[in-house]
Amino acid sequence: MFAKKTNELMPEAAKPVKEALVKQFGNPFALTQFEGLPTKFGDVEGTVKTVEASGADQPLIRFQATGLADSYDKLQGLPLEWTSGKGQGHISRIKEYNFETGTIAVEKSAEIDPQPGDTFKVECVRLQFGRDLYNRHCMHCHGMSGEGTGPTSRYLNPPPRDFRLGIYKYTSTKSTSKAQEADLERTVKEGIAGTYMPSFKLLTEDEVSAIVNYVIWLSIRGETEKKLDDELFLDYSQEVYDERTSEEGGETREEVLEELKEFMELDFPDTLEFATDSVSEAWEEANEEDALVIPKMPRVPDTPESRERGRKLYLSQKTKCASCHGPQGRGNGTATQDFWTNPATNEKYKNRGLHDIWGNQLPPRDLHRGIYRGGRRPIDTYRRLAAGIKGTPMPAFGGSLSDEELWDLVNYVMSLPYDGNR
Amino acid sequence: MGKGWCLFFLFWPIAAVVSCAMAPWIGWSFPYDNAQAASNLGIRIDGLFYLILIVTAIVFVGTQAAIVYALWRGANNREERADCVHGNHKLELVWSIIPGVILLFLAIYQMNIWADFRIKKFYPEVAVKAPIAEVTARQFEWRFRYPAIGKKLQQKPQPDDLHSVNELHVPFGKPVMIQLRSDDVQHSFFLPALRIKQDALPGLQIPVWFEANKPGTYDLVCAELCGWGHYKMKAHVIVQPEEEYQEYLKTLTEQQFYDGLGKIAATENGSESEATEK
Repeated sequence: MFAKKTNELMPEAAKPVKEALVKQFGNPFALTQFEGLPTKFGDVEGTVKTVEASGADQPLIRFQATGLADSYDKLQGLPLEWTSGKGQGHISRIKEYNFETGTIAVEKSAEIDPQPGDTFKVECVRLQFGRDLYNRHCMHCHGMSGEGTGPTSRYLNPPPRDFRLGIYKYTSTKSTSKAQEADLERTVKEGIAGTYMPSFKLLTEDEVSAIVNYVIWLSIRGETEKKLDDELFLDYSQEVYDERTSEEGGETREEVLEELKEFMELDFPDTLEFATDSVSEAWEEANEEDALVIPKMPRVPDTPESRERGRKLYLSQKTKCASCHGPQGRGNGTATQDFWTNPATNEKYKNRGLHDIWGNQLPPRDLHRGIYRGGRRPIDTYRRLAAGIKGTPMPAFGGSLSDEELWDLVNYVMSLPYDGNR
Repeated sequence: MGKGWCLFFLFWPIAAVVSCAMAPWIGWSFPYDNAQAASNLGIRIDGLFYLILIVTAIVFVGTQAAIVYALWRGANNREERADCVHGNHKLELVWSIIPGVILLFLAIYQMNIWADFRIKKFYPEVAVKAPIAEVTARQFEWRFRYPAIGKKLQQKPQPDDLHSVNELHVPFGKPVMIQLRSDDVQHSFFLPALRIKQDALPGLQIPVWFEANKPGTYDLVCAELCGWGHYKMKAHVIVQPEEEYQEYLKTLTEQQFYDGLGKIAATENGSESEATEK
């Protein structure tokens, strides 16, 4: 459930990180809402109809509720907030819920004393719905917390995406932006040709959007965790701790713990707030209109001249397309023969060729195959060229090439699969 | 215990006949409407099924009745002893020739249907002339390639081909043919409602034709255990009037050549919410 990096922190540092994550996001069985996230948690409202008499020794209060009839049928485990009556403002967790009879059971406490007519709302319904669908359709590849290592993942190449970096390859947004909801919905519905991501077109619109909502939520959780880890890793990983307390390091355990305690008290709350805020904001901004990549001019007519101009650009030093995709677009450029440096660790990769940000070896696409992972519309190819492919070495040419040049390139690239033997 | 066994063997033919008779009402009968196939060929195939069902039912009920009779007689008769019989030439002939004749009859009787279903020479000419689409099965989805409007499907992909996934649209009112392929392993193109089933094999292109007798949305599933995602491999075949079909192709063309500018048709197939892109 937690990232490898979190578990590599010294236990005293890992504990507050885990606690903070559980507090902010809950766990897969009991999701938690916290305010300010761009994902939809979804609330449904209900009213207490009758309260069952409960003996003093019974730990639960049972009551019948109305207003939940058309809502999601698995409310168990979700938080229930009292919006009127004696318990107003208090939150109970639903221990049992019977969809047929509308009976809810919550834990007994001094403040919670539901009376007929009291109103409440159940939170997180939307997220829970998305989670159920995700667990049914996505989890066996993408994993419980979106880490991309579900039970089937080991058989797949390319491997399923690790959502926790919050990076998605095929988007309609600028290179610095996150994915739009619509982008992820399209991926779910259309699948990714040439990979094991199948199309889920038979799901309803509502189901797809619920899944995407949950996937974004998983991304935000993962990104938040990563930010916290990054903050602590340099000083408080188990490795650093061992070094600091070794003979050369000269610090005692107490000194390190004292420093950590101070950090936790003074800086950690801000770090946490900053981490979640910045991540949420980025996701929110991606859905705004100016995050989109929109061409300034319509597609240049797909003529032999345009393709020829595109071919020259493709081979030019300006774009260096050929260095990865090869002079004939076979995906065998010289870059595939070099040993590259991992930007994250500054170490050389073990294997030759290009790698993506998730650490997988990534052959440049053979442009003759006619398989378009990000969609086969001209606009899709345009966007791949203009904004690059996120998380991969495919760069964004939106700044360096004019729209006309981009469209020429699109025309050339899209003509390759039909171009005889060249 | 003798009478117990009589009842036991009496129970099964009765249960079988009753459950067969009840099947359409409790949803245990054929897919789609619980009775009738959604294609004329399917109705003929159902006819074959019923014929075989009747033949086997008669044999089954008959043999059960014989068992019950024999047991009943044995259970009520303490004086007569059973004989041990070593072969009866006449009897052997009877129970070899009768099933043989029945099987031969079925084999000859179904030949027309088989030919119409599987032999390309007998396919409806209109379908063979212009295959509607190429259907590629792959783990775990169905991909479709239509020729551009007004053009014919080519063996190799063309730049103006139209592509879609998990949603095959076909025109109503005429037999249609698809070219079936597989990208990876064996799959099976199965339209339960139309009683169409054809394996897809990697490296082969197999023509399959069908004609629905009612417009509607039919399930297309994979009937070959093709891997862990087999259950996901489900698509819709949408049979619609010719005009709607042409309209669909037009929308698909618009989508396919969409360059990010201009108004995208509102019926974008729900495949993208481009409302923000004006």
